[in-house]
Amino acid sequence: MDGKQEILRATGVTKVFGEGERAVRAVDGVDLAVHAGELVLIMGPSGSGKTTLLTIIGGLLRPTSGSVFIDGTEITALGEKDLTALRRRAVGFIFQSFNLWESLSVVENVELALNIAGRHGRFARDRARELLTARGLGHRLRFRARDLSGGEKQRVSIARALANDPELILADEPTANLDSKHGREVMHLLRDIARSDGRAVIVVSHDQRLREVADRTLWLEDGRIADMGRVVRDPVCGMSIEADSAVALEHNGLVYHFCSRGCSWEFQAEQAKRVAAGHAVGQGGDR
Amino acid sequence: MVPVARRNLFAEKGRFAISVAGVALAVLLILTVLALYRGWSRAGEVFEQLPGELWAVQQGTSDPFHSVSLIEPPDIERVSGIDGVQAVVPVLSRQMNFAPGGDEQSVRLMALDFGGFPASPDIQERFLPPQGQVVIDETLSRKTGLDEGDSLNISGVELTVAHVGPRGGDVLSQFAFVNFEDARAIFGVAGIVNYGMVVLDEGAQAGAVEAAIVDGHPDLQVYTGKEFAESVRKEIDESFIPVIAILVAIGFVVGAAVVGLTIYTATIERTREFGVMKAVGGSPGFLYRIVLSQSVMLTSAGFVVGVGGALLVARLAARAVPEFATDFQARDLGAVLAATLAMAVLASFVPVRRINSIDPAIVFRA
Ligand SMILES: Nc1ncnc2c1ncn2[C@@H]1O[C@H](COP(=O)(O)OP(=O)(O)OP(=O)(O)O)[C@@H](O)[C@H]1O
Ligand SMILES: [Mg+2]
Repeated sequence: MDGKQEILRATGVTKVFGEGERAVRAVDGVDLAVHAGELVLIMGPSGSGKTTLLTIIGGLLRPTSGSVFIDGTEITALGEKDLTALRRRAVGFIFQSFNLWESLSVVENVELALNIAGRHGRFARDRARELLTARGLGHRLRFRARDLSGGEKQRVSIARALANDPELILADEPTANLDSKHGREVMHLLRDIARSDGRAVIVVSHDQRLREVADRTLWLEDGRIADMGRVVRDPVCGMSIEADSAVALEHNGLVYHFCSRGCSWEFQAEQAKRVAAGHAVGQGGDR
Repeated sequence: MVPVARRNLFAEKGRFAISVAGVALAVLLILTVLALYRGWSRAGEVFEQLPGELWAVQQGTSDPFHSVSLIEPPDIERVSGIDGVQAVVPVLSRQMNFAPGGDEQSVRLMALDFGGFPASPDIQERFLPPQGQVVIDETLSRKTGLDEGDSLNISGVELTVAHVGPRGGDVLSQFAFVNFEDARAIFGVAGIVNYGMVVLDEGAQAGAVEAAIVDGHPDLQVYTGKEFAESVRKEIDESFIPVIAILVAIGFVVGAAVVGLTIYTATIERTREFGVMKAVGGSPGFLYRIVLSQSVMLTSAGFVVGVGGALLVARLAARAVPEFATDFQARDLGAVLAATLAMAVLASFVPVRRINSIDPAIVFRA
């Protein structure tokens, strides 16, 4: 991520709920930096403070101590009004239960987010349409939000999160209420938001599959954070594996990871055959 | 701008309809009571419609209905001679019972002796029937079933209905006009009359004439036509206004409660959605505006339906009850509109605390 702009920085973020004996340290001294174009996944057991951390980062909850910067602005030092204004343009939220405005139509759900940020009329309507059409919802614009399927709802909520072109996208369990096909769809949308649009994306999830699209996975336990390393896919058998403990092989300037020596041998044999037949090398490697 | 308020209201069509009906009923109640009051307050208007500017009555007469006024012929003579007086019309008037078709009814019989004083054709037709005839109004006609050409007997005098005039202002007791000679026979009096209706010369000072009438004659008292009419209305005002004030207040409270409850429930139900609005940067003002628009829409719809309903009810009720005399006035409609807007504002204050207390962090809680 060298040279990429730092979008989020959290230092020593701590949140204590309650007082005295019943005090809960939901988040405990978390340091975190996320850059433009990066998708960071946060995993951890239930009750480990993931949602609490995300809520603080998004400026919806004030930490007990520590500070959060979004694009250089210390949001933990802002007053309520400025904080609301900052959320309006700098942060996009995606939720497990979608949280759409159910009485509004699909296009109005996105349009209202633009209205709230002071963008009205034709501009807002056109932008809403564009965002939705790009996510395959062009034929659902007039539908009532509550009549959509879960996968469609989540795509609407993604379009809404992007409405005001925020640099930071926060998603809490975005695939938990979806079947695996739609979960995968959302996964790839999130990856595109980071890679193609160059936004910083933080996803909280129990969904192991998300590790495949994440640049980094952090483990949160008892409010404290640890790096979990990266998950990669074995190009031969397709298994998801930890990059750190995998069999690595450099080939034509790319690094490939395998679940076992067997797979790496198979890969080498395959490459040799392809070269002999004049084909290019396969995919699945890193630079 | 996305019409959030409208969408939220129409998302629950059944509840919207019920709430509109609630407000409409409140508006209907308030408006009907006011219109009835206005209708009934036309009482005594006959004293403003007759051509006399002043009414000479016996000292101490409180009003034409509850008081007997007796005036001797010499007094009428004397007043006729006062400077600025064009004519004095002797008037006989008394509440009388009669029984058309066996049912006892009461009517305010009145007779004016215009003598040689010229009366316009309109006055002639409405107030001065020839001997043997009587002019009644629509209310009395419907109460008694009497129509043009029918005959009735009052104290042994046989009368034929000359024609039925439009509904008069007096709802409780209607006026019926008979010929002065018939009135003498019915009342059994020779020279004595009840009032002297004084018609002034053009440009004459009413105040000066009034002073001249009572000067040296403490047995007389003078009302202007307007004052005499108001003495009739005073009774209606005194008995009616406290009652309508209570009814109007009940209507207002019911209306405000209906809107308030609806808006409050609608807000509670959408707590999460309002939370999302806050999370994505909606200011409290933005949320209040949605709630206020919701209640304004609700009350406006209720107002329109209520006005329509009140007009319909007035029509139907007047058919069934002759005394249901309503008069819908623009100022009352305006006041009721203002009251419904006040309901809307009051009602949207109810969920304000609720909105303030919505924590946007709930959006991440399942
Ligand atoms: N508003 C609150 N008041 C008191 N305690 C709270 C509050 N919010 C969270 N907590 C506590 O903080 C801890 C962390 O909660 P949090 O919701 O952040 O966990 P999580 O990692 O998101 O869990 P899950 O995976 O189940 O969603 C929990 O013990 C929870 O009970
Ligand atoms: Mg959680």
